[in-house]
Amino acid sequence: MRDHHLTCQEIVELVTDYLEYALDSETAAQFEEHINFCDGCAAYLGQMRAAIETVGSVEPEDVPQETLDGLLVAFREWKRT
Amino acid sequence: MIGYKFLRADGSTVFSGFSWPLPGSEPGPWVEVPVHPCRSGIHACRAGDLSYWVGETLYEIELDGEIVEQRHKVIASRGRLLRRVRAWEDGLRDEFTRMCANRAHEIARAEPVLTALDEDIEPSISDGPAMLGFMAAAIAEERGGMDAYRAERERQAAWLAERLRS
Repeated sequence: MRDHHLTCQEIVELVTDYLEYALDSETAAQFEEHINFCDGCAAYLGQMRAAIETVGSVEPEDVPQETLDGLLVAFREWKRT
Repeated sequence: MIGYKFLRADGSTVFSGFSWPLPGSEPGPWVEVPVHPCRSGIHACRAGDLSYWVGETLYEIELDGEIVEQRHKVIASRGRLLRRVRAWEDGLRDEFTRMCANRAHEIARAEPVLTALDEDIEPSISDGPAMLGFMAAAIAEERGGMDAYRAERERQAAWLAERLRS
């Protein structure tokens, strides 16, 4: 458990763990407490949920080869930088 | 067990987006979900937890089945909304916001180092009761640490619980 309430920056850092149920119960409660009063972070959480829902419904064969190739190049370049 | 649940104006939850079947003249139907705290289950709060979760609309909820009580919330395997607490929308929500703003002013003005925070309070009124509740507690935290933050939250919850009882 943290000895302070969570900041917006910490919410951004923790959002993936929250959505994957990887936070301990106290941190999850602090996360939700922040989301409850912070409209910006609530919107961010909603966008992340929507993105996961959308991407999660795309099968590899649904992605055009050109897009796959572009993504692979982008990831390889990203790793080098 | 009877608890409370805040929902958005359209009856959906802030965290999962689930749309609750709302009560009319009779309670709403039972909703059943296996209990896994923070993962699934019917999440609600006790009177002492109200200040942490304030939202647009407030309902009384009946909880049944497996019930797990945590520090600021309760999770159950069954729940149904009993009634909409109209008093919340009919003035209590605004009174709570004003009370939190006044309290935030009081704490901020008591310490010269916190007076800069005092200027942020009134412009935040339009952000609603959840933000003002947080601001009052966060300014208390600046003065007295996390214990002061929690004490302010408890004070807010007691204020709300007293008015919901009457």
